[in-house]
Amino acid sequence: MTSEIAGNTLRDEATRPAGGPPAPQNKKRKGVTERDRPLWLLAPGGLLIAVIILIPLVLALYMSLIDLDQYTLRKWLTTPFIGVENFVEALTKTDLLRSIWISVSFAVVSTIVTVPLGVAAVVVTQNPYRGRAIVRAVFLIPYVLPSFVVATVWRTMLQPDGIVNSVLHNVGIDPGLWLNGPMSYWTLILVEIWAAWPFIYLLALAGLQSVDHEVHEAAAIDGALWWRKLREVIFPYLKGPVSLAFLLGTLNHINNFTLPFVLFGAPAPADVNVLPILVYVTSFQSFRFGLSAAMAVVSLILIAIPLFIYLRAVKLDVSDDGGKK
Amino acid sequence: MEITRKNFLIGIGGMGALSLALAACGGSPDTSSSGTGKVDGTGKTLTVLFSTKSQYPEEQKAWFAKTAEDFKTLTGATLQWETFASANDEMTRIQTSVVSGTGPDVYGLGTTFTPTAYSTGAFVKMGDAEWKKVGGKDKFVPATLGISGPDANNQIGIPFVSRPFVMAYNTEMLKAAGIDKPATTWDEFSDHAKKMTKPGQYGLAIAYKDNFDPWKFIWGMSIQGGNPIIDGKKVRIDDPTVLAAYDAYFGWLTKDKAVDPASVGWGNAQALAAFAAGKAGYFPMTSPLSIPTLDKSPMKGKYQYALLPMVPPGQTARPSGGVEAASILSGDNLVVADYSPNKDLAFAFIKMITDTAAQANYYKIFGEIPTNVEAAKSLKSDPLVAPALDAASKSVATPFSGAWGDVQLALTNIAVQTIPDLSAGSVSESALSGRIKTAQSTAQAALDRAK
Repeated sequence: MTSEIAGNTLRDEATRPAGGPPAPQNKKRKGVTERDRPLWLLAPGGLLIAVIILIPLVLALYMSLIDLDQYTLRKWLTTPFIGVENFVEALTKTDLLRSIWISVSFAVVSTIVTVPLGVAAVVVTQNPYRGRAIVRAVFLIPYVLPSFVVATVWRTMLQPDGIVNSVLHNVGIDPGLWLNGPMSYWTLILVEIWAAWPFIYLLALAGLQSVDHEVHEAAAIDGALWWRKLREVIFPYLKGPVSLAFLLGTLNHINNFTLPFVLFGAPAPADVNVLPILVYVTSFQSFRFGLSAAMAVVSLILIAIPLFIYLRAVKLDVSDDGGKK
Repeated sequence: MEITRKNFLIGIGGMGALSLALAACGGSPDTSSSGTGKVDGTGKTLTVLFSTKSQYPEEQKAWFAKTAEDFKTLTGATLQWETFASANDEMTRIQTSVVSGTGPDVYGLGTTFTPTAYSTGAFVKMGDAEWKKVGGKDKFVPATLGISGPDANNQIGIPFVSRPFVMAYNTEMLKAAGIDKPATTWDEFSDHAKKMTKPGQYGLAIAYKDNFDPWKFIWGMSIQGGNPIIDGKKVRIDDPTVLAAYDAYFGWLTKDKAVDPASVGWGNAQALAAFAAGKAGYFPMTSPLSIPTLDKSPMKGKYQYALLPMVPPGQTARPSGGVEAASILSGDNLVVADYSPNKDLAFAFIKMITDTAAQANYYKIFGEIPTNVEAAKSLKSDPLVAPALDAASKSVATPFSGAWGDVQLALTNIAVQTIPDLSAGSVSESALSGRIKTAQSTAQAALDRAK
């Protein structure tokens, strides 16, 4: 709690012009932004948002309500409107709920493991030492490799006659099947962690870079030892960026199509039939575009609820009064 | 319902207008045909979408360039190639083209994808006039027309190449096991496999994890037993012939122990590699496309092709109603987009690449069997390829239904979900029956939707 107050004080300090008096607060006078807002200046941004986000979203919503498939694709504007039938089918006759569960649980587990890894990596590269630049560069390798390459390499290594099994056989372990069956779920998590932890590392690094030099000095003068300093000085600074990383990381995991697709192929083994694969198979192998749009909408809603709660809980807001609700 | 829908449409009317406007922008004047049969395409561009050949990227590039040059000489038109790498890519292209009414003029499609393309209604149906423009229907091997449309009067696909499935066998291994000729029944096939299995080598190379191979085996064995899987309005995956097919297919590993246990993780390329390394006697479900790979391996000169067995598992002769199916009808079809303003040019292009010399040349470069009668005939003298030509003429088309994609998916899915059992060494009847039941109901639901 102490740290939070310290954080707020720092933030208030930062927003105040250096050395100047506090800004006069005249409540009666309306600022120019409220009186005569040149809203039309938002038009280019608004248009972009409409074209890139709103129109596809509305289209997806519309698609989820019509019987759009290979037979009706050509005349999609006159495709039969079937209301919520796609939703009913998605929820009762497909693996949608199971896929959402697999996707969300896999994403959360992956994030929970990658966050401490990323933060630890930042801490060990904080103080300068010989070769630090190389270590930092090496840390980024998994992140810069294309997902396709990562998945192909892991798939090759985890084949029944691949290198991983050969090594394990030599030490007397029979690991069984990695790319199908119950273990495939953990394979997916393992590979995802390997590929995704540098993302947490990068965001935490950005957070740590913003810690003022004075803060380190003050902690040293007060005689704080490393653990105390880490817990009460450094971590509070990282809370914002890491919360953001947690959120973005989880969403990235849920949306990752390439990794499971290349690792396991389509149709996917039941244990790794994640949401993107299910939607892909429904769209491009069964050609049920309406049904897959309904699936996407259901998952959007189901994922948005905990997301909203999370956003409220961590108060992840960049505006000045963000934390004061 | 109607009113709600109307309101919704008004709401998105703007978008409809937008897409129409986009479609209109892409329009260009129609091709002129001079009436003499020669198409003048000066100043025009014909766009053709083909799948990439990852095995022969350089050769394909060269072929694209040469063909474009020939086409320019022939018609004066420019030929623009576009490529797709996967079925997903292809479907996305078709989808956007169909909705917007612009896109490639000619598409190269896999044969089993043709029914799906047909069901979109976006491609030109071939009447007498259209067939004449590509050089007449007679110039094609009759069997290759089997998956051009639901019947002879409603065809959209013009056969371009054929990739019939055969099995490769290791002549030395067969000889060493005292087998004088390749198996002709599936039971014999399994016996031979057992005989050839010994330390360091297996009777068979099977790609259990492949995303396409499994359904081809199951469909082949089923149709040989008289079950076409889609029978009118009914899906027959829950038929005993299908169960027997899966039993035999999985049994090669679990009962006969004639397959490398690692093959539960193999795709077709890995099974081919195992055969090329001389570690397997039979490699079923391959095509002459494997010749370049095998000729670069220690197997050069030590392998032959043969027809896949045509008597279903558990039988000594084909039952009445059973079909003599050596392979699925496999290869590529060409289709012309209905929205194309360059249809005559498109047919002139198709005529050019399906003519005898062009087809013979294409075979030389890529190893794909010609669909042109004359070009195919001239290959008969090559003993290595002769079984493939035989298989091409004994190929049977998979049912021409928009639901076929789902049936194929359901059959493959059974194999995918059975892999953990296969790896453990036994596939229980109850687990398999459960999966078959699920496949039956999803495939039947897809067929019920078919229009």
